[in-house]
Amino acid sequence: MKTGNATILEFAGIAVAVILALLCGFAVILVTSDEPLNALASLLLGPVSNLFNIGTVLNKAVPLIFTGLALAVVFQSGVFSMGAEGQLYAGGFLGALAGVYIHGLTPWLHLPLVLICAMVGGALFAAIAGLLKTYANANEIVTTLMLNFVAILTTSYFVNNMFKDPNSGGFARMPYVNPEILLGKLFPGFPAHAGIVLALLAVVVVYLMLYKTNVGYELRLVGKSSRFAHYGGIATNRVVLTSIMISGAFAGLAGIVEILGVHGTYKDNFSAGLGFDGIIIALLARNHPIGVLIAALFYAYIQVGAQTMQVGSDMPREVAVIMQVMLVLLVSSQAIFVYLKQKYGQKAVK
Amino acid sequence: MSILLQMKDIHKVYPNGTAANRGVDLTIHEGEIHALVGENGAGKSTLMKIMFGLEAPTSGTIEYKGAPVTFHGPKDAIRHGMGMVHQHFMLAPSLTVSENIVLGEEPRKGPLSLFRDRNKESQEIEKLIQTYGLKVDPQAKVETIPVGQKQRVEILKVLYKGARLLILDEPTAVLTPQETDELFDSIKALIKQGYTIIFITHKLREVMEISNRVTVLKAGKTIATLLTKDTNPEEISRLMVGREILFRVDKQPSVPQDIVLSIKELCASDDKGAPALCGITLDIRAGEVVGIAGVEGNGQTELVETITGLRKAISGEIRYFNEELIGKSIAQIRAMKIGHVPEDRQTTGSSLTSTIAENLILDHYRNPEFKWGPFQSKKKIKQFTKIMMDVYDVRAQNEDVMAGSLSGGNLQKVVIARELSKNPKLLIASQPTRGVDIGAIEFIHREIIKKRDGGAAVLLVSAELSEVMALSDRIAVVYEGEIVAVLENSSELTEEEIGYYMLGLGIKKQKEEVAAQ
Repeated sequence: MKTGNATILEFAGIAVAVILALLCGFAVILVTSDEPLNALASLLLGPVSNLFNIGTVLNKAVPLIFTGLALAVVFQSGVFSMGAEGQLYAGGFLGALAGVYIHGLTPWLHLPLVLICAMVGGALFAAIAGLLKTYANANEIVTTLMLNFVAILTTSYFVNNMFKDPNSGGFARMPYVNPEILLGKLFPGFPAHAGIVLALLAVVVVYLMLYKTNVGYELRLVGKSSRFAHYGGIATNRVVLTSIMISGAFAGLAGIVEILGVHGTYKDNFSAGLGFDGIIIALLARNHPIGVLIAALFYAYIQVGAQTMQVGSDMPREVAVIMQVMLVLLVSSQAIFVYLKQKYGQKAVK
Repeated sequence: MSILLQMKDIHKVYPNGTAANRGVDLTIHEGEIHALVGENGAGKSTLMKIMFGLEAPTSGTIEYKGAPVTFHGPKDAIRHGMGMVHQHFMLAPSLTVSENIVLGEEPRKGPLSLFRDRNKESQEIEKLIQTYGLKVDPQAKVETIPVGQKQRVEILKVLYKGARLLILDEPTAVLTPQETDELFDSIKALIKQGYTIIFITHKLREVMEISNRVTVLKAGKTIATLLTKDTNPEEISRLMVGREILFRVDKQPSVPQDIVLSIKELCASDDKGAPALCGITLDIRAGEVVGIAGVEGNGQTELVETITGLRKAISGEIRYFNEELIGKSIAQIRAMKIGHVPEDRQTTGSSLTSTIAENLILDHYRNPEFKWGPFQSKKKIKQFTKIMMDVYDVRAQNEDVMAGSLSGGNLQKVVIARELSKNPKLLIASQPTRGVDIGAIEFIHREIIKKRDGGAAVLLVSAELSEVMALSDRIAVVYEGEIVAVLENSSELTEEEIGYYMLGLGIKKQKEEVAAQ
């Protein structure tokens, strides 16, 4: 009974945060727009007004689902990684290399290989922060944030030099990947690419892993009470390293799916913050995979809504940024509240 | 001598129901050194917090210089001329000694000036150090000076703020014997200048050496206030540990069999790296309960953690059925049918934000029986948890309830269920009934005796001497990391005798005997 109530309360808390953030956006529109109703309508209804927009919402949600899952996993183990952005580049880069430079495989072999390369790239890059944390006791927030720069700038160097497509004109990008392994449209006339299928699959896999397997049990136990896990004989450092690497693998997938579904090649700076948006998604989702799915769709919806509003009214799309920032503030302050309640509330509750 | 401070019938009940003070009377005369003694949990710290305004009493009155006072915070207490030297230093390590002393009340160049007057500051500090003979380099950074000097800085800080009544909370706990002597010299110097000192400790040697009067607290109550010169350590120890029999356990005499655990010359350090255990040698046989008695902090925690693999041993051996435990991982040791009820059930013994089921399967989740392919078998786990909750009388709606929502007694039953259901050949139970209701206490005691009668070896560590006496067949007394006595628990054994060893008086006596021969 108590657990049920707590879940409902938490859900209500998130709903309040979302509503308040939306109201803030509405308020800005009402105050600044000459045609507020028109602006509001295109913000709220634009994303579902036609098939093209619906598909765009899905496409925007795909990388967010992957990075959201990546961070949900690592947050559940009590590690505050901020490194999904860098891992996304590292994984996407390695996956793209495999997609561009390996020839002669059937697509049914080539695509899995490319996906695996992206996961390995993300996981290995994440392992640097993991090893620094477990062996040198380095704070993961600092190391992952710094390593983001390492990944972004290193891959940028590569794609501006040795791996740059000679026919790319002025653009810093690789040659195009094997066209047979691109994630095609789900069906003609609908822009959503097959990445959404992979993303849904990933949600299921992460859910099963976290809640139905021993790996997930150990991971959550370490996150909830690392002393208890240690006392129980669980090698907490190994679990932390595993969780950081799993997280890196999903961040890598975010990168490669974005490449195979949207860009067709590795482009310099192609992510522009998907890894950081994932943090908000995971916070909104309270680190639950199903929550990640919902939060990512909502987030993408707002972004597409902002675009349709910009086109259909006098309001700029930056209104969406206001709502996102409000959401971050509200949700993270709630997350802190929940954390404090868990940490200090028990004694008082007793 | 006039009365400086009087606390009458102080009660303090915390919101969670713990009664830390249950009628304390304390009278402090001006210019005396007043020792406050009592075991851990006797209510000393709570009393001091109330005295210093950190906590409000539930009932009772405080009079200072004859007038009733209410302290709303430490500031009030400081304004009345009270100062507290905490057991754990409250210093800024990266600042100098001088900066730490004046912190918050820095001399300024003028009443409205923003700038510190460093000349005036160094003069004042110099004068302070001279006056009280508390030698310390004012320009040294606090992080670079030894512990004894840090404590002097704490005292100087309090004196700088104008305190006339100093409360020293276990000031010698962190000091070497030499530093302790120097501290005592400083205290005596302060008394000569008219200061009053309250000295909290549980070391009786210090009480006898330095105090004028001593107040003994036990279980939250004042037991007696005595003139130090009219009493002796034996009387104080009897007052400190003697208590009503709380526990009565029905048990047959033990039938000890083969040795299960054999500890030889075991040494280990505490968290700070200081020696905590030295030369522990102890055998525990199947079918007996060996109790560890001792004032808390004398190596009990380290002993249990070393046996269970949570702490590294420095030297010595721990043999379990002729197999060396030192060097084995925690997981290996847990797999060897060794049960461990840890002393802190909330942080170590359970995960409060996990469900009861998740707490109970800690030793079983890798077992193929609990799996379904690559997944955990929800059905098997549920079955197992239900049985455990039935057998060990865990009262909760179902197995998916968060452990943190259980009462102390029910949570401890979860821990007991997990550790006893593995049918341990060795059970290590640390504070198994701390903070648990009477019903749960009886239940847990019965279960422990059941395991003993079933042929398990049991090592029991408890701060409750009466619990150790009620359950144990033999009692090993620890003092400063050593076993100072191993006593058969017979009807002739008294709490006073154990208390005598617990307070380290046995060693002194032996030494005297050796010297006499």
